Amino acid sequence: MSGGLLVLAALGTSLFAALLIFLLPERAFRARTGLNLGAALIKLSLVAWMVWGLSRGREYAVEFAVLEELAFVLRADALGIMFAGLSSLLWLFTTVYAIGYLEDSPNRKRFFGFFSLCVASTFGISLAGNLFTFLVFYELLTLSTYPLVVHRGTYRALAAGRVYLRYTLTAGLVLMIGMVALHALAGDIRFGQRELLAEFGPEDRLMLVGLFWVLIAGFGVKAAIVPLHGWLPRAMVAPAPVSALLHAVAVVKAGAFGIVRLVYDVYGIELSAKLGLLNGLVAVASATILYGSLRALAQQELKPRLAYSTVSQVSYIVLGVGLFGPLGTIAALSHLLHQGLMKITLFFCAGNYAEELGIHRIDELDGVGRRMPLTSLAFTVGALGMIGLPPVVGFLSKWYLGMGSIQAGMPWVIAVLVASSLLNAAYFLPLLDRLWFRPGPDHGVGEWPEERRLGRLETHAWLLVPTMATALFCLMAGALAGLPFSPLEWATRVTNVEYLP
Amino acid sequence: MPLSAELLPAGLLVILAATCLLDRQLPRACLIFIFFALLMALAWWQLDAPWLALAESLLGALLTGAALRLGLGRFASQRPLPARDLHVRPPPQTVVRYLAALVWLVLASIAVWGVAAGEALVTPGEVSRRSLLITGLAIMVLGLWGFAHHLHLLRRLLAFNVLGSGVFLLLAGLAGPVIEVQGLILVGLVVALAGSVLGALLLRRLFLLDGQVTLSDEG
Amino acid sequence: MIADGLPLLEATVLWSALLAPLPMGMLAWRFPPQRIATVLLIAMLLLPASLWLLHRVAVGGELQGAGSLGGLLLHWRMDALAGLLLLLTQLVLLASAAYAVCYQRVSALHQRAYARYWPLLGGLAAALGLIWVAADLLTLYAALELMGLCAVGMLLLLGEKSALMAGMRYLLYALVGSLAWLLGAALLLGASGRLDLAGLAANGAPEAVTGIAIALLAAGLLLKAAIFPLHGWLVPVHASAWAPVSALHGALVVKASFFILMQLWQRLVPEAVAAAWLLGGLGSLAVVWGGLQALRTNALKQVVAWSTVGQLGYLMLAFPLLTGTSAAVATLAWQATWLQLAGHALAKGAMFMAAGNLVLAAGKGGLSDLAGTSRRLPLSLMAFGLAAVSLMGLPPSAGFTAKWLLLTSAILAGQWPWVVVLGVGTLLTAAYVFRVFRFAFVEDEHRPEVRSLPAGVDLTALLLALAALGLGLGAEWPLALLREEGTP
Repeated sequence: MSGGLLVLAALGTSLFAALLIFLLPERAFRARTGLNLGAALIKLSLVAWMVWGLSRGREYAVEFAVLEELAFVLRADALGIMFAGLSSLLWLFTTVYAIGYLEDSPNRKRFFGFFSLCVASTFGISLAGNLFTFLVFYELLTLSTYPLVVHRGTYRALAAGRVYLRYTLTAGLVLMIGMVALHALAGDIRFGQRELLAEFGPEDRLMLVGLFWVLIAGFGVKAAIVPLHGWLPRAMVAPAPVSALLHAVAVVKAGAFGIVRLVYDVYGIELSAKLGLLNGLVAVASATILYGSLRALAQQELKPRLAYSTVSQVSYIVLGVGLFGPLGTIAALSHLLHQGLMKITLFFCAGNYAEELGIHRIDELDGVGRRMPLTSLAFTVGALGMIGLPPVVGFLSKWYLGMGSIQAGMPWVIAVLVASSLLNAAYFLPLLDRLWFRPGPDHGVGEWPEERRLGRLETHAWLLVPTMATALFCLMAGALAGLPFSPLEWATRVTNVEYLP
Repeated sequence: MPLSAELLPAGLLVILAATCLLDRQLPRACLIFIFFALLMALAWWQLDAPWLALAESLLGALLTGAALRLGLGRFASQRPLPARDLHVRPPPQTVVRYLAALVWLVLASIAVWGVAAGEALVTPGEVSRRSLLITGLAIMVLGLWGFAHHLHLLRRLLAFNVLGSGVFLLLAGLAGPVIEVQGLILVGLVVALAGSVLGALLLRRLFLLDGQVTLSDEG
Repeated sequence: MIADGLPLLEATVLWSALLAPLPMGMLAWRFPPQRIATVLLIAMLLLPASLWLLHRVAVGGELQGAGSLGGLLLHWRMDALAGLLLLLTQLVLLASAAYAVCYQRVSALHQRAYARYWPLLGGLAAALGLIWVAADLLTLYAALELMGLCAVGMLLLLGEKSALMAGMRYLLYALVGSLAWLLGAALLLGASGRLDLAGLAANGAPEAVTGIAIALLAAGLLLKAAIFPLHGWLVPVHASAWAPVSALHGALVVKASFFILMQLWQRLVPEAVAAAWLLGGLGSLAVVWGGLQALRTNALKQVVAWSTVGQLGYLMLAFPLLTGTSAAVATLAWQATWLQLAGHALAKGAMFMAAGNLVLAAGKGGLSDLAGTSRRLPLSLMAFGLAAVSLMGLPPSAGFTAKWLLLTSAILAGQWPWVVVLGVGTLLTAAYVFRVFRFAFVEDEHRPEVRSLPAGVDLTALLLALAALGLGLGAEWPLALLREEGTP
């Protein structure tokens, strides 16, 4: 298949799936399930094909002119395909999980239709070849996630949706103005054409710095950088698959990915260092890391605690971006994937607890380890990864970040990392303690809030299997990090190929 | 054309327009309007525009008069409108409209002055044109005032027709009775007729539905 | 009547395409269409003609000519802009016709009133076509009035009291507005002795007279285009009219006056910067006021009507960006304006249709009556949403591309106030659109009865909305045509 066609086909599977889902009647459960899974598998295989082709040096791109000096470009480069691979894989798991989670809910047609549109948007973001195309899919992501956030239709869900929109639409507007200004200044910058901005002399410095921060603000809302993170904890009212999506796969990652693209492919790491932008990024990221962890400590409910943990963890990526040098870059790029795997595991577990046992608060977690051992094992894996203990993959990111900070000449960042790990331990270890070491209803103490026996195993198979799978991937990515096509290897390759002089 | 012969019909036109707009008895006001239109037709005749005269008498006098009487309900066997208009507009509402009318008037006067005083006049015949301009301006003022001031829809339609006639006279005064002007006025007459017919029909229906003859909340 | 030096074929095709709707409308009055197939048939005749004409203009340049009618010389010109607008008009009119055919099956409109819709539609179509190609003030006047009268006629179809009152107000305002226009034309005629636009541009009249004439003309046109603060008639009209009529009116009728104003402005006062900024200021106020009012109202159709008031403000921003700025900025602003106009026409038509569907199905017009529609009327809500995407200026719609172009030209020209206005407008639009969605997503327990609608009404709305989206990504083709011919 020729290059452009493959890209369009991969994008088209989700779009076409969305269309078909909207056309099917509400009651066509099996057809919809089959469609969802089929589309996820087809997309995964197409992306895998592209990965293989890229490693052999093939090109996959498609573009057309939207305006005289503005083109819509989809291009698969190493970084983009890495992100696409992550999202396709996690998508498969989330689809399976969502099918199980929403088994008795109304409005499944609406949910899965917008779900597929969300996939398509994320794929478009990963393969976007310039800022304009990135913006198109970025806004589409906002539009397609809104119905998912307000899915339940309750007062809280609608209020959360309103907050979500306020933040993300304003961010989109700010991004658009910044991109238009950049376009007016320098024309259509494709990702990778760093020389275009490097040509500007010192008299344009102020403008470039200003535009940089405007664009960072636009991306930062979705990437939940403090103080633009306010929508994220509120969005916890959405169903668990949606939270998993927002935090691990789609929205937050899109923001972080945007920052990565901006610094590496538009401004270029050298120009960014010269303009002093990297120091600012490191400062903002450090503040977010610490703030997020502190707020997480204060939460009494499980999902909000995980939400603030996300706020903190995603800024590791921004931190890695801000550290000048290949190690920092490797850390940032690999943590994109690592954080996704770990967070999705944690959210799947939280969803399982909520569905099976009605657990929403942390103090209800006593003794769950005995009732739901597999889920709790997965939770433990994810939590340990967050804290940074080997062999779970989170350890690798922190290691590289530490090394990167030394390489960039900012050893104080290590203090931030250590503090953050300690805080992570402070809010995750008590959870593990409750899970495994406290007596609970299965030991005869108290009762589960709302027990529903959803399956022959500890919970419904559709909910359990994806959880185990992602936990397994967390372990594998850490233990087998030396193998080719592991996240770390891929990130290293991208860094070597693209970002070293 | 001698000045006195100019002033007489001009003055008569203005007086008729004023009477028509000030009269509270609606059928009588419509009748006065028909006379006004016939006098306008005469004016066009004197300005060497016979087709326009014909059109004015036909469209302006006959058909518009018929439309207005239709609006009054004098034809159909159904309830006619009350013959007297008793509505009085409450003071606060009038300010904005008067302001708008004033702005229009100022603009038009300046423009007319500019065209009449300067060399911008294209065709000759100074005296005739000046009196046309002044008459047109006067009638236009009356029409504007009537449109802004009256509440009753039929009186507003009358005021609109008077305003239209004023504008036509101004048109003839500004550019002379050339073929383009005649074309514009002809189209204007047709439009005024259509508007009056539509307005009259609307008025009938509103009245039959609800007894309403004004727009209750003015915009 | 056909004039000299002009290829006969093009002229025949043009005038047939422009005037054909009149006899078609008369025929449909006698035999009102009950099936969509009829409308589709007409579409297959008219659309290829317009496309062919556009192709001829793109290849061979502007077509122009003049015809004499009893001593009067009437001018017309068909350039790329006119051709594109003609195409847009036909698309929207045909969509409205198809929508009307399907809608009348379920709406409470008498057959006699329904039959009267068609000649009025034919008159409106002919009038709009004439406006796009007219090149002198007399033709413009006649066409403008025909359009206005047909529009008023259409508003009276429903016969309810609110519609009648709104229609009466519209009639009075429109008539007075046209008299202002006539006065302005009179001044121009008096000062320069000609009515045709090319001639007026060439033999400049004295500054003061032209200025006052333009002021009067603009006053009349702005009244008809419902620009703040002369917008008072629009919302009652759109809120109470029959749904296909609202769609048509909001999409096209108000835009024609803007087109005429732009044509006159470009030819007569291309350097009047202060006046241009005044118009831009009025547009900004329109954007803010329309958005705020849309946010406050509690009836769906009123939201859409106030949205029109706001969106028309964007078009006014063209004046300060075109007057006294560099050629690059002017080109961008020119393209942006017409793209915005086209995108808004498609999106507003779709939105009115979708709103009509929602109101018809839910039985009442309030926002709180929309509860549960996301489950029971997903198609209508989806059409509403897609149309809203273009109005909000979110990608990949025509509104987004137009906004990009407007922002670029404003930034290049250094006119930052308009950047702020565009931003505020976007946020306000998003606020009131998602307010509607918030009501629609509420899960309602007591499940009021929802009427089922024929598929055609939803499909038409959806297709128009998708057209607005498609125009966003496929904007290069029409914009290239506009760029080639340049600003007048």
